[in-house]
Amino acid sequence: MTTILVVEDDPNQCLLYANEIRSAGYDVITAHDGREALEVVEKARPDLVVMDVSMPGIDGIEAMSRMLAKDHKLPIILNTAYATYRESFRSWSADAYVVKSSDLTELKDTIKRVLESRSRPAAPAGA
Amino acid sequence: MTRQTLVIVLGGGQGERLYPLTRDRAKPAVPFGGCYRIIDFTLSNCVNSGLRRVYVLTQYKSFSLDRHLRLAWTRFDEEIGEFIVPMPPQQRIGERWYLGTADAIFQNIYTLEQERPEYVLILAGDHIYKMDYLRMLSQHQATRADITVACVEVPIAEGPRFGVMTVDETMRTVGFEEKPANPKPLPGRPDLCLASMGIYAFTTHALVQLVTEDAKRDSTHDFGRDILPRVMRERPTYAYLFRDENRKAIKYWRDIGTLDAYYQANMDLVAVDPLFNLYDTDWPIRTNLKQQPPAKFVFDEAGGRRGTAVDSIVSQGCIIAGGNVARSVLSPGVRVEAQAHVEESILMDDVVVGPYAHVRRAIVDKGVVIPPHARVGSDLAADRKKFTVTDSGIVVIPKGVPRGEEFWRA
Repeated sequence: MTTILVVEDDPNQCLLYANEIRSAGYDVITAHDGREALEVVEKARPDLVVMDVSMPGIDGIEAMSRMLAKDHKLPIILNTAYATYRESFRSWSADAYVVKSSDLTELKDTIKRVLESRSRPAAPAGA
Repeated sequence: MTRQTLVIVLGGGQGERLYPLTRDRAKPAVPFGGCYRIIDFTLSNCVNSGLRRVYVLTQYKSFSLDRHLRLAWTRFDEEIGEFIVPMPPQQRIGERWYLGTADAIFQNIYTLEQERPEYVLILAGDHIYKMDYLRMLSQHQATRADITVACVEVPIAEGPRFGVMTVDETMRTVGFEEKPANPKPLPGRPDLCLASMGIYAFTTHALVQLVTEDAKRDSTHDFGRDILPRVMRERPTYAYLFRDENRKAIKYWRDIGTLDAYYQANMDLVAVDPLFNLYDTDWPIRTNLKQQPPAKFVFDEAGGRRGTAVDSIVSQGCIIAGGNVARSVLSPGVRVEAQAHVEESILMDDVVVGPYAHVRRAIVDKGVVIPPHARVGSDLAADRKKFTVTDSGIVVIPKGVPRGEEFWRA
């Protein structure tokens, strides 16, 4: 089964995302900050990461850069309350950028789309 | 437009084919033309084009290059937004050095984010030429290109050495092949093809997208090899035809890729009417000069010692003390002693050629002392036992060879 790592510092939101994504048919594991996320990625080898950006300590963009440095093909979706992080060139390394909303349809659709595009051979990456 | 453009000079490569000149220094720091370093030509082009926001990406053996940049290229004021600064790998993105040209940019994306230029001009640090980059940037802006690649016409037989572009009548790129066996000729000129000079103007937004995409691919992360062939049909990509500020009949552009290319480009400077003109005050080439006395030529004995130099470049601090120099390039501080002969050679700083020594068709690195009566370039089989000898028979004597006569006699 496809495993998705949800990185989210707010415990309530983390629970919400985990439940919703699980109900969409994926295995879900969680991490609560960038540093923990890096450890979990090493150990659990998820198929995709849903990454909050604004977190204490190592933020989501930095954590993403470090993950991609080790595995440049790991699919990562930035999931943040703020649209402004899009202006950061480094955020462009993400496969997708989702602005948080109470309706999680967009996030779930994006997960599906990114996983599908990655399973096709020679799919264009990112942007 | 000059203020909207950030220049990134790629100064990193290992320069393996220029070994042993690159044993202790990065290729752009290799001395050239007597008193210059190779990178001075690219940086002079920047300044002469009005571009004064320049990062030089350094990597291997960069000490000598850093030092040269500090001594020769610091007369800019960061307070008014002008700078030429070396940038070693920051390892912001992973603990690795640059994998290729595109990766070098990707690893410095943070810098682009800080500077937020409209355009990025990517230059090589190892070419000898004179080019007004502003003309290229103007075309880039006028065509609303994402990518503009500087190109020069070369004889079609030389095409396989280069990345060859094919263009339509508006100069829009319709094809790009890296080192093609059968290069496509220019329209209407079956004898010529368009070679990429490895110089690129990018709109920043497109550049960031391209190197970010490329970072996720299994590739060599090289603009010419990986990115251009993939994207030139999807994104507006144009060729810019190199206009030579050297103003000779033939356009002058040399990629100093090999020892023979390095040797030949130096020899291009010594003719009466040299192929490459260092004397044009409209396009000055800057460098760092150590304070040294003027060159001196001494002894004029009939049938004995005569200090002469013809068809040569002789830098400051040189003393030609009763020896002869012909068709050669001498860096500062060289001594040529009594009855010594130097022919068609490049002698770097502080080389000493002892009495009665003969040096022909050689590149002699800094500080080498050639003892009395030694012979270099007369017996290539013997030279090959001690030194690198190139395909065209140029002997290269590296820094730090022993001074003892037993080494030279052996």
